[in-house]
Amino acid sequence: MVAPRWRKVGRDLSTHRFRTALVAVSIAIGIFAVGVVMGGREILVREFDADYAQAVAAGATYYTGPFDDEVVRRAGDRAEVSRAQGRHETTLRYRWRGSDDPATLSIVAMRDYADIAVQKILPEGDLQWPIDRGEIVLEGSALQVGEYRVGDVLEVETADGTKVPLEVVGFAHDLNAVPAQFVGAETGYVAFETLSDLEEPEYYNSLLITFEQEDISREDASRLAADIRSDVLEARGVAVFGTSVPEPGSHFLGDIFKAVSLLLLALGVLSLALSGFLVVNTVSAIMAQQVRQIGIMKALGGRTGQLTRMYLVTVAAYGALAVVLGLPSAALAGRYFTEFAADILNFNVTSYVPPAWVTVLEVSVGLVVPLLAAIIPIRMGSRMSVVRALNSTGMSAPSFGHGLGDRLLGLVRGLPRPVALSIRNTFLRKGRLLLTLATLTLAAAVVMSVVSVQGSINRTIADLEEWWNYDAQVVLGQTADSAMVEREVVQVSGVTAVESWSGHPVAYTRADGSENQSMSLFGLPYDTTFVRPRLVAGRWLQAGDTDAVVINSDVVKDEPAIALGQRFALTVAGEERSWRVVGVIKGQLSGAVIYADRDSLGDLLGDQGVNRVLLRTELHMDDAQQAAMEAAEQALDEAGYQVVSTRTQSGLSQTISEQLGILVTFLVIMAVLLAAVGVIGLTGSMTLNVLESTREIGVMRAIGAQHRSIYQIFMSEGLVVGVMSWGLGAVLSYPMSWLLTGALADSTQIPLTYEFSWPGVAGTFVVIALVSAVASVLPASRASRVSVRDAIAYE
Amino acid sequence: MDDSVTKTPLLRLHDVVKVYDTGEVPFTALRGVDLEVETGEFVGIIGKSGSGKTTLINMITGIDHPTSGEVVIDGTPVHELNENQLARWRGRTIGVVFQFFQLLPTLTVLENVILPMDFCSMYAPKERVDRAMDLLEQVELADQANKLPAALSGGQQQRAAIARALANDPPILAADEPTGNLDSKTADAVFGLFERLVMQHKTIIMVTHDNDLAARVRRALHVADGEIAEERIHRPRHGA
Ligand SMILES: Nc1ncnc2c1ncn2[C@@H]1O[C@H](COP(=O)(O)OP(=O)(O)OP(=O)(O)O)[C@@H](O)[C@H]1O
Ligand SMILES: [Mg+2]
Repeated sequence: MVAPRWRKVGRDLSTHRFRTALVAVSIAIGIFAVGVVMGGREILVREFDADYAQAVAAGATYYTGPFDDEVVRRAGDRAEVSRAQGRHETTLRYRWRGSDDPATLSIVAMRDYADIAVQKILPEGDLQWPIDRGEIVLEGSALQVGEYRVGDVLEVETADGTKVPLEVVGFAHDLNAVPAQFVGAETGYVAFETLSDLEEPEYYNSLLITFEQEDISREDASRLAADIRSDVLEARGVAVFGTSVPEPGSHFLGDIFKAVSLLLLALGVLSLALSGFLVVNTVSAIMAQQVRQIGIMKALGGRTGQLTRMYLVTVAAYGALAVVLGLPSAALAGRYFTEFAADILNFNVTSYVPPAWVTVLEVSVGLVVPLLAAIIPIRMGSRMSVVRALNSTGMSAPSFGHGLGDRLLGLVRGLPRPVALSIRNTFLRKGRLLLTLATLTLAAAVVMSVVSVQGSINRTIADLEEWWNYDAQVVLGQTADSAMVEREVVQVSGVTAVESWSGHPVAYTRADGSENQSMSLFGLPYDTTFVRPRLVAGRWLQAGDTDAVVINSDVVKDEPAIALGQRFALTVAGEERSWRVVGVIKGQLSGAVIYADRDSLGDLLGDQGVNRVLLRTELHMDDAQQAAMEAAEQALDEAGYQVVSTRTQSGLSQTISEQLGILVTFLVIMAVLLAAVGVIGLTGSMTLNVLESTREIGVMRAIGAQHRSIYQIFMSEGLVVGVMSWGLGAVLSYPMSWLLTGALADSTQIPLTYEFSWPGVAGTFVVIALVSAVASVLPASRASRVSVRDAIAYE
Repeated sequence: MDDSVTKTPLLRLHDVVKVYDTGEVPFTALRGVDLEVETGEFVGIIGKSGSGKTTLINMITGIDHPTSGEVVIDGTPVHELNENQLARWRGRTIGVVFQFFQLLPTLTVLENVILPMDFCSMYAPKERVDRAMDLLEQVELADQANKLPAALSGGQQQRAAIARALANDPPILAADEPTGNLDSKTADAVFGLFERLVMQHKTIIMVTHDNDLAARVRRALHVADGEIAEERIHRPRHGA
């Protein structure tokens, strides 16, 4: 026969089913959080790394004039180079399923898809290499933006306006392709033979290499890339238009990825802490209820050690139950979450099994954390002297009477009785109040911070829209005469103003000899009204500025050597010239840009051509912008200009907010999870309050309290806690959202303008009031149903 | 030490003082109580509410510690034991019966009776059920053994509590108003049970408010203002 004290443990668990469920759920939340968040993070990082490793990202990419396999072989033969791959890349416009809006397609052509040395492309589903002439394979991220299906025909428009149909034969995965949802352009793969149909030469025009040295620094990589450019490419007469050397070993989405994984970590730790609070709360309450029974057992000969063991086993049982609940639900949710994240970040997940240590962590969160949380209440309970235990009423001792709380209560005497009573009750259970408050406050602070982060993003985009005093932009394939191009576009209906700029690739050589090719130089009329520069220092361009340029803050950040008042050398159109910085303006998400007066620049370079046309439309609405831009594109097309890309500013700001939106999505998930923990915490402690007050309630009922007044007491108690946590959370959310915005800006390299969201604080108030009302309904109605008999029969 | 020359009482309180300082001003609930009780005595403690009866019996059971003075029971200096030693000692030496029965609500009557044997590792686990059934037989509750306490009447619960107090066959039974919550007929039955136990050489110390019952114990101690104000010996049944 099982010893009766162990039977008591089992019987207590099974008799108080509601309470057992409450504790198990509180613990399970912690397991769930760890499982989903830490597990999800580990799976994401592991799968991303695996995908990244198999994809063989390029160490350097050259955008060049035509070259052939011989050049690729020569590049691969270099000692510093481990692999080399040539491909043909071009950007064309296409229509799909009879739609009138042309979209942008990045076309990649390779000789042999089954044997790619750098930046591998994996077939998805039943797709088999090779791709035949007239066929196209779309990068999988296209499915995030459109419902493409095998068999669809894309009507691709060549440089001279011929329409070439390409049939979609399948999808492929290219981790290093920029996902369609980020750039608003799909990537498609075609056979080399298809190039002639597209009126493209059957040559390579980009070279991708990887370096032999695995842990190469970015500086070394840039230097090597420059050597190879001159020794291998330029030496063979291959013109190099641009070189891109990314941070070695890091994916272009790596920063966003790091931000997400950081958020997940923070979320995991937070919810773990919150679940710890819940567990401490619940276990203390249970111990408080057990005090009298502990007294009896002690009077019957039970020793502290025996009692401690009984309650530790009880808690371990809660933990085991929580593990049974938490592990599978975490696994399931973790899978959904990972799929979601992998879809957004466009990478393949081959296994959803979290590493063993996460499972071990989940189990120990289920078993160890509650035991740790329970140690103090259990020790206090089982060490309590017999007299005190026996005299306990089963309610937590009201250490009330002399304290600050009492004096505070003096201030609230004017309140209606139920409210005054509930405030009194709220303060009576100080410890639990503190924990519940801490939980809810954190949850509220996170919710408000997320709103502020979103507010900062909106603010940043508003700044951006303020800077763009134009609606759309068309980029041309070759340079053109500005007056002629402008005349062409200004005639288009819906267009109210036009301006043309020249854009030049530039190279900046640092003092150490390494080269930066990621800046751009724009020539624009010094008196432009198409952008509204926000000066950080110095002045804007003036008439007669010849070698004077204005730089944006991204230039200052990337190249600290280029500063206001300084001269610096820049290679433009193959010639190195000296420039003088006269002003610094705030960067507007366009990367590092140097601005010069268009006409002076044209004189200097001996080329007055422009290659981008900015236009303003009558109606500044998305549809109108789109329509005017398409009309402009068509007009330019008909006039014989090649349009490389077009964009509307509203479309661009949408793309940017979508990128940031991914992070906000994760933040919202985090906030919702924390809020759920907070609400369960509030419901839990309210329920405990009701359980503990059963006798009080019975007495109140016996002296004539109505169901309604009891209900009101507990409802207002929940609301008081909710409102308090809102107030504290609002205070906490100020620094929290500031830090969060900073962290996001750092990790995404998108400089965000911080803005605290007051409407968010107000909105959260409404949400919290509602949520705490909802959390209190069940306990309050439970309380109002307590009868006098229940109360007396209780324990 | 001189006492040992004459005879050793089962229970001896010497100059026991209890001061409560939980309130605003310290309150002296016992003012130097001296008491000796022999094996097989049936001692009743009576007195007005607040006079110190519960405090006194708590000194005997070790449920509470005296502020000063000595409590020696069956050779054990109870006032010197720590909580754990006390629990163990109490479990084997004194059966405690409470006014509100205090059966553990989630254990059956039988399990409640076995519990003290479990805590104090008394009797072989196999014997425990038989012994508990014997005890329940004695208090005429054998047929209720597998019920939960909530399903029993007050009198039945108190008899179950007495059976539980007897579980480890302690020489002493201490009861604080065991009949306080029972009607007079049921109280009578419980009292009868105590009388039978005294005949089996148990020593019983019982606090009571019931004057009728107080008149039936052999030795009645009248407590007033924290002192034993008066002691009455009724019709002796067997020699002391
Ligand atoms: N924990 C305590 N703290 C302070 N004073 C106490 C405490 N317990 C008892 N007292 C006081 O000590 C005195 C004796 O209490 P005790 O409980 O022994 O009385 P009693 O004779 O058992 O009364 P009743 O017949 O009502 O049970 C009372 O005046 C009481 O107020
Ligand atoms: Mg008393």
